[in-house]
Amino acid sequence: MENDIALKADHIVKYFYQPEPFKVLKDLSFEVKKGEFVSLIGKSGSGKSTLLYVLSTMDTDYQGELVVNGEKLTGQSLNQLAAFRNKHIGFVFQFHYLLPEFHVLDNVMLPAMKLKKLSRAEIEAKAYDTLKLLGLADQALKQASKLSGGQQQRVAIARALINDPAVIMGDEPTGNLDSKNAEIVFDIFRQLSHERGQTIITVTHDDDFAGKSDRIIELSDGSILPAAN
Amino acid sequence: MLSINYKIAWVHLTSSLKQSIVALLGVTFGICMYVFLTSFVQGSGSVQTALAFTSMAHIHIYNDGPADNTNLVRKFYGANVLSLIRNAKVIQYVQGIKNTADIISLVRQQPEVVALASEVNIDIFFRNSANKINGTLSGVDVENENKVFGIADYMVTGKWDDLKYDPTGVIIGSGLARKLSLHIGDNINILTPDNISKTYKVIGVFQTNVTTTDNTKAYININSARQLLSENQQYLTDLQVNIRDYDATTPVVGRLAPVIPYKVERWQVANQQLAAGAILRDVMSTAVSLTILMVAGFGIYNIMSMTINQKIREIAILKAMGFSGGDVTTIFLTQAMVIGLIGGIIGLGLGFCLAEAINHIPFKVAGQKTLPMTYLPKDYVMAFIFGLVTTLIAGYLPARRASKIDPVTIIRG
Repeated sequence: MENDIALKADHIVKYFYQPEPFKVLKDLSFEVKKGEFVSLIGKSGSGKSTLLYVLSTMDTDYQGELVVNGEKLTGQSLNQLAAFRNKHIGFVFQFHYLLPEFHVLDNVMLPAMKLKKLSRAEIEAKAYDTLKLLGLADQALKQASKLSGGQQQRVAIARALINDPAVIMGDEPTGNLDSKNAEIVFDIFRQLSHERGQTIITVTHDDDFAGKSDRIIELSDGSILPAAN
Repeated sequence: MLSINYKIAWVHLTSSLKQSIVALLGVTFGICMYVFLTSFVQGSGSVQTALAFTSMAHIHIYNDGPADNTNLVRKFYGANVLSLIRNAKVIQYVQGIKNTADIISLVRQQPEVVALASEVNIDIFFRNSANKINGTLSGVDVENENKVFGIADYMVTGKWDDLKYDPTGVIIGSGLARKLSLHIGDNINILTPDNISKTYKVIGVFQTNVTTTDNTKAYININSARQLLSENQQYLTDLQVNIRDYDATTPVVGRLAPVIPYKVERWQVANQQLAAGAILRDVMSTAVSLTILMVAGFGIYNIMSMTINQKIREIAILKAMGFSGGDVTTIFLTQAMVIGLIGGIIGLGLGFCLAEAINHIPFKVAGQKTLPMTYLPKDYVMAFIFGLVTTLIAGYLPARRASKIDPVTIIRG
């Protein structure tokens, strides 16, 4: 049973101290199964992004316990967490955040080059494969800044996939895209989740997007609303 | 496989090439000026020291005369007794240095000693009929005197070695020759404090460019000087000692002073303004050079900070992808290092060229032909080290700031 759990949040509590103490996340507990495609929704200020960044291990200022891929992350040092993110978590943000001076291929290879598990040639082959999966193989040697917004976001997804992470986290990955490109990105996510068993957690405003995912976790004022489906 | 950190650093450096070059020029200029200034200041310093050492040895041993011993009352009754003694007369029991053979062999045993010259110095009047000039007649051990002071190099006419075999010959300073209208072959009359008068023949003229020396000094053979004073073959008034490193007089003096019953004086004490001048010059040039390097450092700091501000989102995303704070520091410190290394090497080259060019500018003062310059590897190494340290500090501060960037605040905006 334990093996099916990709991510487990246990009594997560978080405060904001500026401008005055404020409880953003109120004792949240939930689990995400492997291969599940979860959407975090809620109004602005409901704490959904804050929760995502706690889950992403980048925000360490919380109470409670976080377990990803069977490893307890609460209490680990920043460097340990960085190494963990490198290996087990892929990110797709609202903005693509590619390194503009690098080729598309180099951008995709970046997390793997940091991980150093494979040789350069293997990483390159894998990056090509991933780009092919996302229909970008012909763009591999272009400068990242020369691509369109939708293409850049797909490169960012390829970058998130390169180390075969346990979880991909998205912060409004379609927020900056037109509906056609948003559709493409959503299809890619669903394909990854269903065909490759990739666990995905994304924050989104887009109700269409959320409605098509496996499960919705809706936050309101720092608490999880009872599941509708 | 080149580490990904270095690759990112390299891309940052080459993608904003203009900025990198400006930072690099800062370091280049700083190190160039550091090299040039230290070479120039040390060059002029060594010229001045060389000039000074034409009339001064590293260590001088002489009879300083008795201490003030006139208040005998205090000696016996202590300081509490008032005494009034007027016109006390001092009797100097010992003139010059006695037991010279023992002292000379003791000095020669010191491993640092490279040259030692005995002198019999007499204050006298030089006379050429009506013209009278007071000055010093120096009876010298011809060969060793040259070893200590290199006086043969300063001969204008005549040969220094001629003094060795000519008991009536005298070599006089150029100023003295001019004032007394003397030329080679002319006679010069001298008068000692004991009213002994003797005539010598001018066999040479020297010019050290130290005006007081050139105007007042003359050399004769040491044996002639002893004869003039009716002293024995061991008599001498001054021992001039040169050691290997003129800055390291202290240990030698420390060993000699307690066992030699005469004044043993380092040149730094005898000529404090020279020693002080040398130190001040060093301090000044170092201060100016370090200031220039610091300005270059600020330039690097500025440009690195700008780069980091431009790349702050990239840094955040790198950290999100699992790059640690140390990786980020490495990326930016590598950029600073590359700027420091390349700028430093170019700066050393330019500094050498500048020094070489300035070294060719004519400068005809005090026996110089061109502006003085030294080329010490030590200075180049120091300049390079200082340059690297400056760039490292200037690069480390913004790099550390970058490493502490919290990705959440940047990405969430």
